[in-house]
Amino acid sequence: MLDALAAERLKLTRHKATWFLVWLYPILFLIAFAISVAVGLAHSGDPSKPVTAAAWIEQTALIWKLPDQSIGRILIAAYVAVVFAGEYGWNTWKLVIPHRSRTTLVAAKLAMIFLLLFAALALTALISLVFTWLEGAVRGRAIPDGVTATALLHAHGREALAGLAPFLFTLGSISLAAVLTRSMVAALVIGVVIAIAEKLFVQLGPFLAPYAPGIVWTLYHGLPGYHLVNLASWITDGVAHKAPFPDGRIVALGWTTSLAVSAAWIVALTAGTFAAFRRQDIN
Amino acid sequence: MLEHTKGQEQQGTDRSMSDTQAPVVELVNVSKTYGRRGGGVRAVRDVSLTVAPGEVYGFLGPNGAGKSTTIRMMLGLIAPSGGEVRLFGEDLRRNPSVLRRVGSLVDGGAFYPFLSGRRNLEVVAKTHGGDGARIDELLDQVGLAKDAKRKVKGYSTGMRQRLGVAAALLNDPDIVILDEPVNGLDVAGIQEMRALIRGLAADRGKSVFLSSHLLHEVQQVCDRVAIVSKGEVVRESGIAELLRQDAGLRVEAAPLDIAEAALAARWKVERSGDALLVDATKDEAPEVARRLIGAGANLFGLAAEQRNLEDVFLSITQPEAPDA
Repeated sequence: MLDALAAERLKLTRHKATWFLVWLYPILFLIAFAISVAVGLAHSGDPSKPVTAAAWIEQTALIWKLPDQSIGRILIAAYVAVVFAGEYGWNTWKLVIPHRSRTTLVAAKLAMIFLLLFAALALTALISLVFTWLEGAVRGRAIPDGVTATALLHAHGREALAGLAPFLFTLGSISLAAVLTRSMVAALVIGVVIAIAEKLFVQLGPFLAPYAPGIVWTLYHGLPGYHLVNLASWITDGVAHKAPFPDGRIVALGWTTSLAVSAAWIVALTAGTFAAFRRQDIN
Repeated sequence: MLEHTKGQEQQGTDRSMSDTQAPVVELVNVSKTYGRRGGGVRAVRDVSLTVAPGEVYGFLGPNGAGKSTTIRMMLGLIAPSGGEVRLFGEDLRRNPSVLRRVGSLVDGGAFYPFLSGRRNLEVVAKTHGGDGARIDELLDQVGLAKDAKRKVKGYSTGMRQRLGVAAALLNDPDIVILDEPVNGLDVAGIQEMRALIRGLAADRGKSVFLSSHLLHEVQQVCDRVAIVSKGEVVRESGIAELLRQDAGLRVEAAPLDIAEAALAARWKVERSGDALLVDATKDEAPEVARRLIGAGANLFGLAAEQRNLEDVFLSITQPEAPDA
């Protein structure tokens, strides 16, 4: 498996699109913070508002919210689409399939996507931390009391955990879409539709309820959208995400229910990727 | 190198499947149907063949005959609709890891275009679990040492083909499956490929399964061939046996009309200039002579016709023209 991972790393780090879609985040944050520091230097004489320790820490951990945002989901979907569907476009599955089991090949791709994106987000978080401190320093702000290594680790761990389920859901759904469609564009379009439709449904679902109350209620409970948001809410705020319906009912489920439903979706989609690829003819 | 090749060919033709060693490849009634059952298209029908250890096996057929589909089934790229693919005695479906003893070249070498030739071989080596220690040696062997650092997207068809051969040999496989390996190669490249293929079998004891539409190449390097047409194996035999079986007799006689009429009553006869080509075996030569003399024709020459594989191939795969 380690050899298969090494082969995958070799491919992903040498392709422009897959390289860019991973290291995009630290690069963008680096640019944004550099501009912010430069602006801070230009206005170094201006008084700046003091920030609380919680706000300071939250700013350094912003990047971990990316997998739960539509734009973040779309960027991750683009990456997964290129990694999986690229093999069909380059016609290279037939180069590697005789050398490894199909299960190992898919597992290596999933693992390497996870590891590289995690590394990129962790690096981005580190850049955020350094530049938040630097920006404060040039603006004449001290690090607020209460910012400790433990508090930082706790906050970053919590935010990373909150982003895990949406990330894994995107990984599972787009890898399956790529294997089934064998097309980067088609997989990406599916990724965009899922990312937008799912978020929209969480927001607009209650407003659609008067037109088809039973169906909307069932979909709201069965689709992953609410559960991914609810799980993140439990992890970051310790409370359920409340979704009030016009008829007075409120959806506010426990974390175990949302964890079970989210896990079921992620496992089903990932297993679907393995199963579809194992049965697929590579012409 | 070519002389060595021809010598080995003769030696190879004498090799038979009566060897006690288990076959390297064994296809048993392998079929592939695309689309729905009933309305589907049968690309391969009940193909059965065996490849012995150290044998160079040719797989011949016109376009669309099912050669590539068969090769893909042997490599686990396509699941057969029926039958069994056995490699080294193992059922491929039950034990796909047996493919790690196989090297392959399909589609003229499919590679990652954004990687260099060398990096592509590293990917193959790592995927296989090897250390890629033979990469430099193989790049040198296929004449790509100087271009190893160039990206594959800039390679010519022939260069990709050479890289494909290097990839096929990278993990020192026991059998090499090559789909049209000389496509895109120049004359010198074809000669090198021919020597390489024969060397794999003769010097290193490897088996080679070779699909090619260049019948001359197959005739020169293969021990045995299977001829496929419309998804079915229509003939499987040693090259020498195949040519001997299908050789006709060349008759030089006069008057030609009388000779033709005398022989046409018994055999299929074609005119070839001032001679007749008679679809008879060498054993039937005395009877041919008796008939000619009995009909009053003068016999000037009677010899076994030396057919090449192309003639045999065409006679098997092309339907006869309807009688006028």
